[in-house]
Amino acid sequence: MNKNDPLLDLLLEFFDLPAGTRPENIRQQLLPSWDSLAMVQLITELERKFLVNFDIEEIQRLRSYHEIGDVLSRKAVSLKAPLVS
Amino acid sequence: MGLGAAVLTPTQVKTANLIRQWISGFPGIQKQAVQQAFESASLPKIRRALRLLEELQEQRGPRLDVELLSTYNLEPLLPVLQLAMNCLPSRACPRLAPLNSIESHMAQPAQSQVRAVFGARMIIWRIEEVLPEALYPFSHGFPERLSASVDQLLERIERVVALHRRNSLGTPLFLSTMPLPVNLANPVAAAQHCAGPYASVSRVNQKIYEVAARGVGVHVLDLASWAAFEGEAHADAMVDFLARQPLSAKGQVSFAFFIARCLRSLVVPRRKVLALDLDNTLWGGVVGEDGVNGLKLGHEFPGNVHLRIQRELLELRHRGVLLVLLSKNNEADARQPFESLPSMILKWTDFAVRKINWNHKHENLREAARELGLGIDSFAFLDDSDYEREQMRQVMPEVLILNDSSDPLQTLRALWETDAFDSLVVTEEDRGRHRDYTLREAREVEGHQEDLEVFLKSLEMEAAIEEVGPSNMERVVTMLGKTNQFNLTTHRHSRRHVETMRASPGSIALALRLRDKFGDQGIIAVLLAVRGDNAATLVIDSFLVSCRALGRGVEDALWAAMLRRALRKDVQRVEAKYTPTAKNSIVAGLYDRLGLRRIRHNSGSTCYLLEPVTFVESPPWIPLKDENQ
Repeated sequence: MNKNDPLLDLLLEFFDLPAGTRPENIRQQLLPSWDSLAMVQLITELERKFLVNFDIEEIQRLRSYHEIGDVLSRKAVSLKAPLVS
Repeated sequence: MGLGAAVLTPTQVKTANLIRQWISGFPGIQKQAVQQAFESASLPKIRRALRLLEELQEQRGPRLDVELLSTYNLEPLLPVLQLAMNCLPSRACPRLAPLNSIESHMAQPAQSQVRAVFGARMIIWRIEEVLPEALYPFSHGFPERLSASVDQLLERIERVVALHRRNSLGTPLFLSTMPLPVNLANPVAAAQHCAGPYASVSRVNQKIYEVAARGVGVHVLDLASWAAFEGEAHADAMVDFLARQPLSAKGQVSFAFFIARCLRSLVVPRRKVLALDLDNTLWGGVVGEDGVNGLKLGHEFPGNVHLRIQRELLELRHRGVLLVLLSKNNEADARQPFESLPSMILKWTDFAVRKINWNHKHENLREAARELGLGIDSFAFLDDSDYEREQMRQVMPEVLILNDSSDPLQTLRALWETDAFDSLVVTEEDRGRHRDYTLREAREVEGHQEDLEVFLKSLEMEAAIEEVGPSNMERVVTMLGKTNQFNLTTHRHSRRHVETMRASPGSIALALRLRDKFGDQGIIAVLLAVRGDNAATLVIDSFLVSCRALGRGVEDALWAAMLRRALRKDVQRVEAKYTPTAKNSIVAGLYDRLGLRRIRHNSGSTCYLLEPVTFVESPPWIPLKDENQ
């Protein structure tokens, strides 16, 4: 459990990845399970957990841990303390 | 796009309450996981709950395969659909047909190897796909051409039902209604014309209600009502554009559990009896203390709440739920409001059994169950007293306690929100159930004649034998699903299975309709038999009699009718089986009495043989009317 990185926690749990997975390896290109179905479910999950709505441009950029983090930061989401469990 | 907040809407609170009851028997870890999954709508939590439920699968009851045919993408919802359906007492398995392939998929016959046979089939469609022109009426020849398009869709609905009938072997079909489009410009104009978008959706839904009302085994999955209750928050335009999946995270969970609730009626028999008290339930106040004039009942607050409770109860009684009065009172006091309070809606005679005394309510309930010939687990209970509810909960955990507060409005809400009396179909038998039990009571009073046979003859009974078929299939399947006591094997066959069985060569599938001097009692006994290893052997699969008709010898009449047919088919051996359950000891010796020979015990069942097969007469007090003889 990464208490200081709820996005990492979410992605590890969502894609069922080992706890030690390096964030830079969490990318759509590297994860076969990150298909179009998972993409739809992931968007719903991110919005639910961080209480945000993505616009079309943002959705097209949600392709890796870093890109998601970047989009969330621009939306002024604090990645230290998620609002929803 | 996201809904996010973990605060539950009022609709979700109601659903959460129902789910809590559904999973009350789960171990703590599974219970907690399901609740967390429901409340969070989080996919990892849903998956976790599913994994934990997998561990219980074998204890969870029969397999229920549900085929979903949809015009929009349900694939992202599959985990939550699986979770919701697995909160039912069955091992449910939802399967998606290819997207938007309703007719082509249904055209494959059920026997085909490419498609399994299902326990239920659901067609989920929406106006955005099946009639997109309705959203843009002025671009599509409003009003004439649009009306014609609606007409074509109505014809399509008829064709889909006909196609299902031809190829499904009796699998129940659920047709969804269509929610009003959430995203529609100019809703004011949309409502102004009978060929406008809203009226078009309404016409389509009306058609769906109509085909369900006239088609046996066709039911409505009322997504239009569901969406109206949920409000716009159930929808998510972004994921709809992205993946043709129109539901928000919370909407998905609510949708899945709504579907599960509709399916629940296929696997969980409804409660047959509601036992309730008088004071502070049927009226405000205590009749023994306040007197009739001091009771609150009428059109003013708070008497109007009690009036509404009475209306709900009367409706239940007319739908076939028996009402039982359990009151700690003097009978004379309890009767008084029924005789002299002008606002009373319920009559004294609306209660199939009345237990008014100072005994424990659980004792009275047990006594009422005995009189009605029903199990304790057929009962629901409503009482304003915390003490009475708690005692009932502890002494009789099988009884479903409906309310959890003494507040009359909470009692009313409990009646509005409970799924204890859910049923997909209200049959003529259901509607006449109260009358049947009242007549039975009358018969029992008349029955104090020394000679039972003389009494039975005095009932002027007649047993009409019917082949099991479309006209009585609903009742036969209902009886197979619900009859516990006089039931030799307790096989809970689906409609599809009965259809297959009766169509198989050499089978005999009979239903007995009983008439007596009090009227038509409906189908009260069923016997299903199939060919054994060879044409000369007949195997009794199911033999059951409704508890309404016990003790009159109808089983002998049906047995005689079956043997006549068997002899006509040159059957030389009849094999039968008694499989004991917690409730069917009443028939433990039936086959011995009918002259069959015990041949072996097999996995708890006793196997019997009748050889040679000879003709027997129906009891002299029940003449057979068998048109096929």
